[in-house]
This record gives sequence, structure tokens and C-alpha cells, in this order.
Amino acid sequence: MRHPGGVFEQIEKTPSREDDIPADLEEDLRAFGCKLIHQAGVLLKQKQVAVATAQILFQRFWYVSSMKQFGIGDVGMGALYLASKLEECSLRMRDLINVYDLLLQRNKHMLDMQNSTVHSPEFRYAPMSYFGNTFYDLKDALVVAEMQILKRLGFSVNVVLPYNTLVNYLRVLGLTGHPDVCTRAWGYLNDALQTPVYALYAVPTIVCAAILFTTRFLGICLPSTPPNCWWELFDADWEDVWSVCGYIMRLYRPRSAEEKSRVLGLVSKKGVRQWLEEHEPVD
Amino acid sequence: MNYVQLEKLGEGTYATVYKGRSRATNEIVALKEIHLDAEEGTPSTAIREISLMKELKHVNIVRLYDVIHTETKLVLIFEYCERDLKKYMDAHGDRGALDPMTVRSFMYQLLRGTAFCHENRVLHRDLKPQNLLINRKGELKLGDFGLARAFGVPVNTFSNEVVTLWYRAPDVLLGSRTYSTSIDVWSCGCIFAEMISGVPLFRGRDNQDQLLHIMRIIGTPDERVIRRIMSESGESQQQPPKQFPRYPKIPFQQVLPKAHPQAIDLLERLLQFDPAKRITPRRRCSTHTSPQARRQYPFLPLALSRLLSLPTPHGHHAAQQQQQQQQQQQQAAQQQAQQHAAQQAQAHAAYLAQAQGMPQYQAPPIPQAQGAPQAMVMPQHQYMTYPQQYAGQR
Ligand SMILES: Nc1ncnc2c1ncn2[C@@H]1O[C@H](COP(=O)(O)OP(=O)(O)OP(=O)(O)O)[C@@H](O)[C@H]1O
Ligand SMILES: [Mg+2]
Repeated sequence: MRHPGGVFEQIEKTPSREDDIPADLEEDLRAFGCKLIHQAGVLLKQKQVAVATAQILFQRFWYVSSMKQFGIGDVGMGALYLASKLEECSLRMRDLINVYDLLLQRNKHMLDMQNSTVHSPEFRYAPMSYFGNTFYDLKDALVVAEMQILKRLGFSVNVVLPYNTLVNYLRVLGLTGHPDVCTRAWGYLNDALQTPVYALYAVPTIVCAAILFTTRFLGICLPSTPPNCWWELFDADWEDVWSVCGYIMRLYRPRSAEEKSRVLGLVSKKGVRQWLEEHEPVD
Repeated sequence: MNYVQLEKLGEGTYATVYKGRSRATNEIVALKEIHLDAEEGTPSTAIREISLMKELKHVNIVRLYDVIHTETKLVLIFEYCERDLKKYMDAHGDRGALDPMTVRSFMYQLLRGTAFCHENRVLHRDLKPQNLLINRKGELKLGDFGLARAFGVPVNTFSNEVVTLWYRAPDVLLGSRTYSTSIDVWSCGCIFAEMISGVPLFRGRDNQDQLLHIMRIIGTPDERVIRRIMSESGESQQQPPKQFPRYPKIPFQQVLPKAHPQAIDLLERLLQFDPAKRITPRRRCSTHTSPQARRQYPFLPLALSRLLSLPTPHGHHAAQQQQQQQQQQQQAAQQQAQQHAAQQAQAHAAYLAQAQGMPQYQAPPIPQAQGAPQAMVMPQHQYMTYPQQYAGQR
């Protein structure tokens, strides 16, 4: 068992950073991988707890592995497969592979559109043959990804989701009557799934960050001067809450067109390796 | 591999268990071999078993030492135990029935192991004699966590396919998916009776038959109880509640004439039809829950103390000392938690007082951490819609 798993605060440099993948690119790729998981989950009508669990496992994985060694597409697919087992709503391999194949094809199409001056026709999905290589390649990748996640996380695959805690906290704060508060805070918690915070901070801290965003957005005043700070009711530390906010804010940072298309080509480790060759650091 | 594989110890549905010896230390271990299937990847039973057991360290839980992961198989290295309880009863019992001292000792250890699981938020979900292991020192250990799962607040819907039929709780038989620790408590009760008499207490052929077997002994419960349990199953809303014949309760003393009255008393508390009435093992609240959630739960109060008040089971002095130590630690932790809860309650009162006087809607604008503030005004996607069930709650 290689890694105790769970909380990775102590790690300063992720394996991807060690491989010279810049921090902003890693962050964007993490977010993009999570979006793919989410899209696959929607297409498969998978239970939302499984999708959230998959995203958290996916985020943890990048604290023990580099994107040069594993592609975000494969690992995302493996994470969703694994999380579905954990949440007792197993997926059929074939369904998951089909959906990922569709997402990857669509991805490639978008990339082609951006790279060519010719306007391509609308995206058309070409279903694969079950006996062709694509299916077996993806199936192989899926089994390996699931096994690698388990192995590298040392089977530490227990995940705590934040939603019950949120409902609890809003009750304590007397905010449940406000119609917008719950939905909005719930949304921030979901967006946070695209960031590494669930691998780094305890659930109460993340929930406090979501409440902070929500109340600031809606202009709701909560006691925030010592000794009566609302987050202290939940034993959260202001510094930590604030850094969670930072991670979430970076998700909303406007991206240039180039940044947006960059991730499309880096779903596989092959793409990442090629990118690294083209962007070798000059020292 | 660092282990020599010796004879086969047992076979389960998805694994084969061998005796093994460590090449380095000569220690005897149990090797549980699980074949990896290309059609399904890693079996979920193995995932559960490993992820949960590596955290559970207790004398009454089989220790998982290591995991060997190869391309084609997974090998789990466990502490070795002589035999499972089923085989023990066949070998040592009088037509399966164990003597009262042994029953007491095993029952005590079974409840301790179970309580430890529950305190660590793990449901075993498959307690039965074949999955309880006995070593040479007479220590009983919970094994086979292939169906176990971690639980949080019991709003989750769990799988209905848990626990071998004969040890399955009536609420699960009625379709409940919101069961909690009480399902393991029921299984403990069934095992208790089986150790006393030598034969399984309720031997049904299928779901429905199993329910009838249970009712024939503990009596058909009030219709309201059945209706309430069924309403928690989430499926049977449309179906009219099943009709059950009205059986009277048979006193356990009549079913198990050999049993000590105090054993009967304990059995009574374990085998309650209504899960809400079964003895609840204490659920330790994490410091991360809200103040209200930090309530204390009764800790198998009668079950263990009743067992303890009886003459000391043979050869468990060390175990008892450890138990005392653990109790002291628990008390200290409880006190701390209570203190903390009191402080938080005060802080909450102060919060509420201050929040009352707060002006509405005059908060400072959202600070700019990075990027433009307007870019973060809305969460980008709320695909996980806010469940309506929470809307009305206060
Ligand atoms: N640590 C051990 N020491 C000795 N014997 C063991 C040990 N673990 C398991 N066994 C034997 O092997 C049998 C099967 O083990 P186990 O219940 O863990 O496998 P399983 O495949 O999960 O079984 P099931 O069919 O209940 O799912 C047990 O009933 C017991 O007899
Ligand atoms: Mg078994």
C-alpha cells in the first residue's frame, strides 16, 4: 500500500509539477477531466453521489500520479467505474465505454474545428464496432485505470460528500428559510468538485467556503467579528476557508481562447507528452 | 511472493482462502486469493473489504496485514485463525450447541467487534457463523467484510441484497434500504441463539418464508410497525401492505429451554422486529458534525454490561483489562466532546443574538481573490439539483 491517502496537504509539488507540467495547466486539466466525468454521468443517468465520488477520487489520484504517465480521459473513466461500484450502482463496462468514446470523439471534433480554417460539418457520432480495436483498447484502459487508482491510493477510496453537512450548517445558521441560499451553496459545492479542495481540506471547511460565497453574493450579513464568527461554530479555520475560496475563484477565471482549446488536445497522456516536448523549459 | 501457499482453508463465492507461511518470519497467515475478471475489473467485494478493513484494527476483527496486487489476481494477507464459528460449533459443540461459558465469551467478543465497526461507521452487513473466525486462544474475530460499507447519516439508500437470508433483519426483508447499525445487531441475535441451541433460529427458504419464520417465533408485529417500515423502503408506495398471519409471540425461554434468563433478556433486546427498538450501538459523532448532531448515543448499554455482570469467561483477563482501558478513553473523549458541545452551544446562542440585530442586505461586495468578480456570480452548473426533501426541513 503506497499512500495513506485522504489528505494531501503536505504535498507541495504534485507529480505532474515534477514532470514540468505548469500549475495552471494541471489545474485546467483536472477541471476538464472532472467535466468529462460529469458529462458521462449525465449521459449514463448515473446517481449523482457516484459522479461526485468519482470526481473526488480523480482529484486525489493526481496527488500520487503524473498526467505524463496517465491520461485524464482514462483515469476519469476508471474513477467513474470505481465510484459506481462503491456507491452500489455499478455501470456496465460497455455503456461507460460507449459514452466515453462519444465524448472523446466530440472532443476531437471540436479540436479539428478550431485547428482548421475550413468549417467542418456538424458533429456526427460514429458508433464503434464491438469487435473492433477501439472497444478493446478502451476496455483495457478502463480496467488498468481502475486498478491503478486503487493501487496508487492504497485502496483509500472512502469519500465523504458535503451535502448533508451543508443542510445541517444552514439550519444552524438559520438560513434554510431563504430560498436562494440552499441552491446557490449547493451549486458552489458542486463546482468545487472540479478543484482539488476535496482532496486537501475537510468537508466543514469546504462547506463554509460555499456558505461564504453564497452569503456574500446574496448580501446576507452574518456575524463575522471576533469573538462571534459564524465559521467558528463549525470549527473551521478562516485561513483554510479562504484558500478553498481561492481554488474555487480560479475556476471562474476567464480563459483565453487558446487556454480553452489547449485542454482539448491533452486528454491522453500522449497529448501531454507531445505538449511537453513542444514546450520544453529553457534553463 | 513472500508467502508459501499451504493447504486450502475454505472457499467463498468469489475467493479461495489458503493457509500460508511468511518466508521472512515463518509466521502463519491466511491468504485470500481473488481472481481479477477482465469483464468486471476489480470485484467490488474486494474493494470494500480492503478499503474498510485496513482501517479497522481491533482484537475482535481479523487483521488485514497486506495486499498483493498483480495483473491477474489480488491476494489479501490476513491474520490466521484456526477455524470459523460454524466449524467450531460442529467440532466442539454438543450437536452444535456450545456450553454457556463459551457462548458468553464469544457473544461478548462478537458484540465488541460489532460495536467497534459501528463506532468507525462501518456496517458489516454479513454477520453469520461462517464469517466469524476463532483462533487457538479462543478469540473471536469478525471476518469477510466483502459486503460491508461505510455509512454516514442514514439517508443514503443502500443495496437491499445484503446479509445471508437466515441472519437477515426483518426490516431488510420488508425492503428497507435505509437500515443502519440495527441490521448487524439482528444478525448478532441470530448467532447468539444458534450458539445456544446449535441450530439456526430462523431457517426460511426465501424472503417471504424467512419473514414468516421470524413472526412465528417473535410474533407478528403491529400493522402500523410493518406499514412504517415498508414506507421506508421507497418501493412499495403503490403496493398495498402485505397481509401477514397474526402469530402470537412465543417466549424465548420456550424456544431455548437451556438458556440462562439473562441470556434470554439480552436476546430479547437484540431480536426486536422494529429496528428502532433494537439495542443501538453508540455512534461516535465526529467533531465535524453540527452541535445538534453531537448527541450521545447509548452504547450497547445492557448488552455488554449484562454479559460482564456474569461470571468472568475463562481466559479473557487481558481482554478485559484492555476493555477497561478503552472504556476510560471513551469516557474522556466523551467528556471532551460534551465540553466542546457546550462551548459551541454558547457560541451558537451568541451567534443567534448577534444575527438578529444584523442589518439585512448590506454586506460588503464579494472580495476579488482572482479574476473579475462578475465571473463568479453564479455557480457554473448545478447539475446536482437541490433535493426537494430538504426544502421544508427546519
Ligand atoms: N483469516 C482466516 N483464517 C482461517 N480461515 C479463514 C480466514 N479467512 C477465511 N477463512 C476461511 O475461509 C472461508 C471463506 O472466507 P471468506 O468468508 O472471507 O470468503 P468469501 O469468499 O468472502 O465468502 P462468502 O461466500 O461468504 O462471500 C471462511 O468461512 C473460513 O472458513
Ligand atoms: Mg464468507
